Amino acid sequence: MVQLPLAGVGARGDLATAASLLSAIVNSSDDAIVGKTLDGLVTSWNPAAERMYGYSADEIVGRPVTVLCSPGRAAEVTEILARIGRGERVLHHETVRQRKDGTVFPVSVTISPVYDERGELIGASSIARDITEQQRAEAELRRRTADLERANRNLESFTYSVSHDLRAPLRELNGFSAALLEDCGDSLGETGRGYAGHITAASDQMAELIDDLLDLSRVSRAAMHLQVVDLGAEAAIIAAELQRSEPDRRVTFTVQQPACVRADPRLIRTVLQNLLENAWKFTSRHDRASIEFGTMPAEDGRTCYYVRDDGAGFDPAYAGKLFSPFQRLHSAREFPGTGIGLASVHQIVERHGGRAWAESAVEAGATFYFTLDAEETPCSTGPSCS
Amino acid sequence: MQYRPILLVEDNAADEELTMRAFSKSNIVNQIAVAHDGAEALEHLFGDGSARRPLPGLILLDLKLPKVDGFEVLRRIRAHERTRLIPVVILTSSRQEEDVLAGYQGGANAYVRKPVNFADFSHAARTLDMFWLLLNELPPNVISPAASATPSAARGT
Repeated sequence: MVQLPLAGVGARGDLATAASLLSAIVNSSDDAIVGKTLDGLVTSWNPAAERMYGYSADEIVGRPVTVLCSPGRAAEVTEILARIGRGERVLHHETVRQRKDGTVFPVSVTISPVYDERGELIGASSIARDITEQQRAEAELRRRTADLERANRNLESFTYSVSHDLRAPLRELNGFSAALLEDCGDSLGETGRGYAGHITAASDQMAELIDDLLDLSRVSRAAMHLQVVDLGAEAAIIAAELQRSEPDRRVTFTVQQPACVRADPRLIRTVLQNLLENAWKFTSRHDRASIEFGTMPAEDGRTCYYVRDDGAGFDPAYAGKLFSPFQRLHSAREFPGTGIGLASVHQIVERHGGRAWAESAVEAGATFYFTLDAEETPCSTGPSCS
Repeated sequence: MQYRPILLVEDNAADEELTMRAFSKSNIVNQIAVAHDGAEALEHLFGDGSARRPLPGLILLDLKLPKVDGFEVLRRIRAHERTRLIPVVILTSSRQEEDVLAGYQGGANAYVRKPVNFADFSHAARTLDMFWLLLNELPPNVISPAASATPSAARGT
């Protein structure tokens, strides 16, 4: 039934072997492979065609192929066969077909001309694939993408509203409690003045929390622009800024340079800033301190970057909480902060395909590690690292 | 010394009161006109009788406003021959990057986020006034437009 041009086959035996091989391929195909004459009568029918359309070979061979067309689509096939008759090949196109039981389903079809041994055009062969599942998966993907886009838009407008509307009442709490203290402080008495002071302090703190939350949301949404960044050079800049901010502190910084990697420069600076500022903060109770930025090989063969200090450290039992927003392992009285910094670090490192973790013991300092997915970049090739 | 009036575009009454308080704490003597939404700001600048009023030497513009938002007010200010050179400082709650960018793209001269802390807010108000109305030289057409300008120490709206 199947006519196939076999290049380079000479002897009859070889021809028979090749034909049975090809016939096996056709019979085992999951795609419906159907031969037809140029006037549209079915000449061959593989098992996949039987499964797909519901007709056995006996039922369909010799009948017009248009019975497979869904109502109103017969002209489509006639037109394609006319094109085949002119020697054209009709590549993938999507259409619908009808089963024996009348159900209609989507297919992707390729139709090619078939020639006999003398090179004469004798018919056409079509390969059809049922794309019901594929279309369903595509629709599902489109739906999920739309859901995600909607959720993102909602998050955007939520963030926008937080940034615009949540601060105004705080400004009023703060401003009017200050006005109360200033204009009516004498009649409030010491207790009353204390209360007003609490209102001021609480609104200041909430403003800080809102800002930190907005920063966290920014790092999780900001578009990534990867380029070569020398983390060592960035760490050195941040270290110098920290030392300028409190020139009386005696802190020794050791910074490994260069340490180049492909990353989003702004986001990765936020990581270093948070880790180095933490190290600076948690060594503030010590007369002398050392803070180190460096790299070492990680277990998975990637490069691991770390910031190590010899400060207050933390109880390793709570290490798991460190990178969640608003989790703090020290009271605000001991060390100020909102608990957003390490959550930002975690977000950014994850967005770079890496991970972050920490090791410590109480009063034995802390080391924060992170990896980044991006391959290491030789510093000599990095424009920002020359 | 320039005593050009300031136009404050602010819809929130409590914020307006605090801003006034901050200005008064800072001994700012410029007259301050307040527009409570974007439409009122446009009416003040372009409506009936606006030609007889002195042009503000500084516009403090909130972004999230009822009716006509701050960006649209800014666009109209920059589009109009008479007002296009007036310094406009966006004074708002947000520091969302898209707002800051859109502010500068719309031709704002500065973008200041209102601090929550009142002492910081007063300091910001004082600094704005010092810079824009005392230190900074205003464009000539803002100083002497056709309308007469009477220096005034009057306060309020």
